Order: sequence, then C-alpha cells, then structure tokens
Amino acid sequence: MELNLWALAGLATVAFATFYIGYRSSRLASTTPDFLVARRAVRSSRNAAAVSGEYLSAASFLGVAGLVLKDGVDALWYPIGFTAGYLALMVFVAAPLRRSGAYTLPDFCEARLGSRGLRGLSTVFVVFIGMLYLVPQLQGAGLTVTRVTAMPNWVGSALVAVIVVVNVFGGGMRAITVVQAFQYWLKLFAIAAPTFIMCALFIKNGGVGTSQSTGLTEDLPPTFTSNATINVTTPVELQVKEAVWLLAEGVVDGAPAHGSTFWAAKTHTVDAGTELQFFTGSSVPVVVGAPADNASWLRPVPGTSDMFLTYSLILATFLGTMGLPHVLVRFYTNPDGRAARRTTLHVLLLLSLFYLFPMLIGALSRLYVPELLVTGRSDLAVLALPSKIAPGVLGEVLGAITAAGAFAAFLSTSSGLVVSVAGVLSTDVLPGRVRDFKLGTAIAGVVPLGLAILLRPTDISLTVGMSFALAASTFAPVLLLGIWWRNLTWVGAAAGIVVGGALVLGALVVGTVSDYTGHWAWPLFSQPAIVTVPVAFLIVILVSKATQGTKPPDVNRIRLRMHAPDRLGFIRDRDIARFGSPEDRARLANGRHRQ
Amino acid sequence: MSVPADREPAVELARSWRGPWSRADPAAALAMARHIAADLRDGLAGTGVRAAARSVRRLLDADGVGLADLSGIPVWAGTQPAGDAAEILVRQVLHAETRAGRPPLMALPLHVQDELAGVLLVHGNARRALVKEAAALIVESLQRGRLEASAEQAAQAELRALRAEISPHFVYNALTVIASLVRSEPDRARDLMLDFADYIRYSLARHGEYTTVADEFHAIETYLALQRAVLGERLRVQVRVAPEVLAVALPYLVLQPLVENAVRHGIEPHVGPGLVQVRGEAEGNDCVISVEDDGVGMDPALAEGILAGRAASDGVQDGPTKVGLANVDRRLRTVYGPWYGLVAETAVGAGTRVVVRIPRFQPGVMP
Repeated sequence: MELNLWALAGLATVAFATFYIGYRSSRLASTTPDFLVARRAVRSSRNAAAVSGEYLSAASFLGVAGLVLKDGVDALWYPIGFTAGYLALMVFVAAPLRRSGAYTLPDFCEARLGSRGLRGLSTVFVVFIGMLYLVPQLQGAGLTVTRVTAMPNWVGSALVAVIVVVNVFGGGMRAITVVQAFQYWLKLFAIAAPTFIMCALFIKNGGVGTSQSTGLTEDLPPTFTSNATINVTTPVELQVKEAVWLLAEGVVDGAPAHGSTFWAAKTHTVDAGTELQFFTGSSVPVVVGAPADNASWLRPVPGTSDMFLTYSLILATFLGTMGLPHVLVRFYTNPDGRAARRTTLHVLLLLSLFYLFPMLIGALSRLYVPELLVTGRSDLAVLALPSKIAPGVLGEVLGAITAAGAFAAFLSTSSGLVVSVAGVLSTDVLPGRVRDFKLGTAIAGVVPLGLAILLRPTDISLTVGMSFALAASTFAPVLLLGIWWRNLTWVGAAAGIVVGGALVLGALVVGTVSDYTGHWAWPLFSQPAIVTVPVAFLIVILVSKATQGTKPPDVNRIRLRMHAPDRLGFIRDRDIARFGSPEDRARLANGRHRQ
Repeated sequence: MSVPADREPAVELARSWRGPWSRADPAAALAMARHIAADLRDGLAGTGVRAAARSVRRLLDADGVGLADLSGIPVWAGTQPAGDAAEILVRQVLHAETRAGRPPLMALPLHVQDELAGVLLVHGNARRALVKEAAALIVESLQRGRLEASAEQAAQAELRALRAEISPHFVYNALTVIASLVRSEPDRARDLMLDFADYIRYSLARHGEYTTVADEFHAIETYLALQRAVLGERLRVQVRVAPEVLAVALPYLVLQPLVENAVRHGIEPHVGPGLVQVRGEAEGNDCVISVEDDGVGMDPALAEGILAGRAASDGVQDGPTKVGLANVDRRLRTVYGPWYGLVAETAVGAGTRVVVRIPRFQPGVMP
C-alpha cells in the first residue's frame, strides 16, 4: 500500500486531540482567575458517552464490519451481543454495584465477601482479562498503520502502546471522562459520515443492478468489480463455488504456479508469498468456513454446531460485558445508583446508534471489496471500502476519516484498559501501594505489546469474544450471585472463578495449538461460553452451599446498602435544609445555592 | 469423626507415626497455638470457636474437646461424652469457678482478667499438665482478643475526638462581616448567611464518620466564600475537582482544615493578594487532592514538626489549626494505613502545597 498522507494526517490529529483534551481539562484551572465551581457531577448522558467511547474498541469499529462482510447475518450477533451486555448490566448490576461503593472488581469481591484471598485471585483475572483484551486492540492498530503507511505491523502496535503509556504518565488521563466522551463522538462521526456519503454514492451509481457486482440476495458468489491483485501473506484455504480463470504466481495446491491458472469449483490451498490476479466480473473465492454465495450469506447458517456457537457467543457477550475491568470503573463516576442505571440506558442507545454503521459498511464491502474475502483480512473492510467506492480525493479523505476513527478506537479502549490494569497492579500486586502507578502502567502497556507482536493475528472480534467468554465465566457469576443471592461465600466465588477461568483458558490454549497445527479442534473451543458459564454458576452455587460457615457476618448490612433505594440516603448525605422558603430549600438540597 | 472401639492402639499409632500434627513437631504445635489465638479473637461466642475446639483437641490428643461460654452450652469437637455428665460439670464449674471432674471427663474454668469467661471440657485421657497449659493458652487468646477489641474502640474514640472543630476566630470574623453587609448589600449578606448556616450544619453534623469528596468540597466552597467576604480582593480562589473522584468516601472535615491553614498561614500574613488552589484528581486507584497557596510558606523543618504533632514548640499564635493539620494526618493514617498521610511541600516565601492521597475504595469506609 502506498503512503496515504490524508490518513496519516487523520491519525496525527486524533493522537494530538487526545493529548490536548486530556491536558486542557487537567490544566484549565491555571488560567481561570476567580472562583470556579467545578464540583458539579457529570451528567448521565456525558458519562454514557464516556462509557461508550471506552467500550467501542477495534472489535466494534473494524471487526464487526469485517465479520458482516465474511459471515453475513450470523455476524450480526456480535453487535447485538456487545450492546445487549449493557442490558444485563443495567437490569442486574449497575445500581447495586454503584451503591456498594466498590471501584474495581477486586474491590467488589472484598466489599461483598470480605476476603483478601478472593481479592488476590480476582486481581489475577482482572489483569489477565485486561491484557487479553488489549492484545487484539494493539494488533488492530498494527493493521491500520500498515494499511495507511506501509510500515510493518509492529510499528502501529508500538505507536498506540507508547501514546497511551506516555499520556498516562503525563497525567493526561486524569480528566478521563471528558476525553472518553469526546472519543465516542469522534468515532461516531468517523463511521457515520463516511457511511452516509458512501450510501449516497452507491445509490447515485444506480445501486446493485448496474454495477458488475452480484446482488446480495442472489444465489451466487460475490464478484470482483475491478481487476484485483492479491498478495497472500499467510497460507489460506479457499473454496471456489464457480470456476474461475486467474493469474497466479507462487505455490497453489502444493505445486508451483506461473501465469494463467484455472480453478475448478472445489477447495484450493494457497501458500504464503503467492500473488493472485483476478479479473473484473469473475467470482470471488472465499476463505474456507465462510459462506461462499450471497444467498447463504444472507441466511442464518443451518446446523447445530453453528447454532451452539451462536448461542455461546450470545451468552459470552451478554454476561461478559459486566466483567470487563474498564467498563465497571466508569460507573463509579455516577453519583448514585439511579444515575448509574440511567447512564447504562444512555449507553444502550448510543451503542445501538453506532452499530448501525458497521453493518451497512459490511454489506457495502461485500459488493465493492470482495478481494478481502480471499486473503481473510476482512477486518480491513472499513479502511479499504472508501477508496474503492469513491476513487480519487474524496475516497482518500473518507478513508482518512475512517482510519482516524479506528485509531481513536484503539487509543480510547487501550487507555481505559491500561489505566484499569495498572490501577489493579499498583494496588494489589506491586509492593509499596503509592509510588508504583507508573510502573504498573508500563507493565500494563509493554506486556500486551509483546504478546500482540508475537501472536498470530486472527479476526479481532473472535479474540475479543474470547475475553468476553473469560469475563462471563469468572466475574459474571460472582457479580450476579453476589448482588442477588444471600448465600454466596468467598470459597464458592473463588471456586467458580478458578474453574470457569481454567476452562476458558484451557479452551483458548487448545484452540491456539489447533490453529498452529491444522485446525483439528472442535469449533466450540473458539467460543466455549455455553459450557463454561453454566459450569461456573453451578460450581459457585454448590460450593457456596457446602461452605455456609464462611458466609460474611455482615451480609445483611451489605445487601441493604446495595438494594435500598437511593432516596433513603445510604450513599450520600441527604441532610435536607429545614429552614427558609421552598426555593431556598430546593437550592440548598442541591448543595449549590450560589449560582 | 468416629472413634474406633479399640482406642488405645490408634493413639499409639498416631504417636509413633509422628504426622504433621503430632505433638512432637514443635512447628505444628506452634502453628496450632497461633490458629487457636486467631480463632478465638471474637471470644467464646464468636464464629471461630468450633475451629478452635478442633485445634485444641488435636493438641491434646483427646477424644473430644468442648468450649462453653457463660451460657453453659458447649461447642464440641470430636466425641461428646454420653448422657448429661458434661452438662452437670459445666454447671458445677460455672457455679464454683473451680475445676471439676476427672479423666476421662474434665472441666476447667477459663478466667480472663480475673473474671469467669467460659469453660473448657476435655473428654478422654489427656495429661493433666497438658490440659492445664491448653486452658492457659485459651485464656491468653481470649485476653488478646479483648485487648484488640478495646484498642480498636480506643482508636475509634480517638478518631471521633479528633474531628476538627470550628475556629471561634473564624465564626467571629464571618459574623462581623455579614453584619457589616446587612444594610449596604442585603442580598449578599443573605447569601453569606446561608453559606454560614451551611458550613455550620456540615461541621456540626454527627451522623457518621465518613462523607464524600463532593460534600467535602462543598464545605470548602462555603468556607472560602465566607473568607472571601472577610478578606475581599486579597484572596483569590480556584477550586477544581475531576468528576471521577466526587464519589470517593473520606473522613469528615479532612480538607477544610487544610484550606483553613492555607488561608490563615499562607494568605493572611502575606502582604498583597494571594491565590489558594484546591484540586482533586484521580490517579490510578487513588484520589489525589492538593491544597496550594502562594503565600508566605514556612521552614520545611517547621512543617515537619507540625505534622509530627510538635505544634507547641514554636510558641506562636494559632495553635489549633496546626494541631488541626497533625490531626488530619493522624486520622488519615488511622483510617487508610501508614501509606496515606499528608505530604507538605513548602519553603520560606515559596508558598505551601499539601497533598492528600486516599484510595478510591477502602473496606469499611462508606459515607
């Protein structure tokens, strides 16, 4: 790929704006001459934008469109699950968790169950989930930077890691709510504006009928809309539905290939380093495992194995969101339980709005950039689509905007994760409690960077799905049962975390080994939540029942705190003024009578 | 646990095997003694009594060990003696406060600080000397638990006693200024009066030990509004707090003494205008609040002395506020541990900056 100056400028702008807003909001005071009341609580809507900004990761920005391009209707469960997780959070967790006063997940475990040991255990898993979630973010950043500047993959990963760590060091993340809220609107703009323009161009060009592409409902494979040259960098297996002529240079089906080649309608293997050239109008071979023609792309996949996989994904995302370390800490900013619930409602709306656009982009990509299906790098769809749909400066500008949005996605999610992981590390793992936040930040940035460079990148959404499964199998049972079940004990919670976590990690290891040695593992290993989550819940309940002696003595007091309505005043000083006129009382009750 | 019919050989086996809990292993015996002490921390009515009885039984190699508090209902580990022999013995000991019975069933009174606290029952052929030592160990553990509880009460009482008090000097000044404004600027006087009422209400509140950063900042604002009325243009103020830390819980009136210190010792003695900045930020899992003035500052050694509680040594005016600073320091350390004290940065003529660092979550600290 050639150097795209527009896109480079976009990335630089995002990086600069992130720094600037962080600094401005933490330094603003120095320029204000007089009394500045900054005590106002954050509005729910802004807090919700911050939560969404931190939550919308590379998986949402790039991954969803890529999966829609590849898997079609089935991939829609990803955005639905990513959003529905907040429904579970809102209904079951948000308000009681906020009232409990806990800031992080280990805090909640300690507050509810009063065990230092459980706190240590949950710390380990918080760090692990955080890092597992960071790796795909950094890999996605590498992908974006490679796409834009033709620099090797690790440069982008390192760039994001360095920007995040430096920003945290410099104190720029202190006013984190403002920064993250800004990132949400930036991302929404960066995906909505190009989508609108591309849809307009698509309709202006006459829609599906006139272009050479296959209609999205036809029982045919997608077709190339222009001549396409594809460099295969990792070995792939391709399924061909309609025989094609192509030019191949390299190793195909185990034999060297030069020049014109005919592919019959069967599965072909292509080795790394091969160059394939397809012609306009020929049908597109698709990576094995993805639907080959557009009609099946548009239908839910039949078959029980895939159905289990889908349910597994739904379960993981529905329950996993509440166990992500960087999501829960945002709720602490809410003044009380009701505000926490209202914030979650706003988050649901904001996320639903955002996820409309990656779906549209995925569908458009199926028409315009089917060559991504050949290499399997479908995560690039959002970045590649604009220049294909609008060649020339407009396409480059739109591409720059989406690239900047993707970069914002990496930055904001990585920042949130690094800050939460570093906080947990410095509080519970490193000695000394006070001075080591910077050391914790460095560790939380460098270790995932190393993993991101070492591990083979797969689809971003799949890796992210794995960290959701881990969160759903470890923290979801503890949170849900901790809030809603009186008889939870710390032994039961610890057993559930250990068993659920071990099962998911085992599946992860088996899946990874099988990826490197020829895909022999059962597909359920790539998304094991449907097994691990019920097992974890069962273990927590059974072990708790068996160890009722270790129930914390103050369980009733804690549960009262968590479930009593806010207006009873278990959280804030509800001391209402008892004098003056009604207006005075109203003003005083807000604690702000000086306007 | 069931007891085999031919008990003697089993005991012999246990002695010859020398397992980790055998009496000949001093490390195991010491560990068990430590566990007994930990289990009995809440007294003989607490949750750890059964575990303690189990440990004592292993230590004595007895068939069964029972611990009863003054209610006379023993908690047993191992086999209970048949019939109501144990019940009779317990009643006897509680009545006479001396030991009763003989092997295989003995009952010993447990005297904690010359006061009967409970009964130790031993069922089986344990050596008398050993049983006596075990009873002594239990008494020591109970005593330690009581001392710990009373030390905690003392710390709580001290915390309550240390709550900052309103300086009469400030009350007098504020009321005088308000009085002077009543005719010329009645609206402003009314606002200040409300500020004053608000401030007094907050300072005198006695309904809990902890509050939130939000309320604490509100108290600072009312205080600073009143001080601005007193000092006029000489005092400039900036208060800024990140929304992330508003909900953090902290002890009552931790920040107000710091601000009062900045105004009275930084700005008031200073010629010309001065600026007081109060800033609250999040840093990792901690909340960092700094109070800074650009006033006269002080000798770092003096600041160190003040924080160490040697306020009287300089013999200057305004003792209470300086004691106030040391108070804040001690309260923070009592609540959050030795890592979380005040940090003061100062030099003569260079202003003062006092930094408070508190964790966002601390078990037991709830507003």
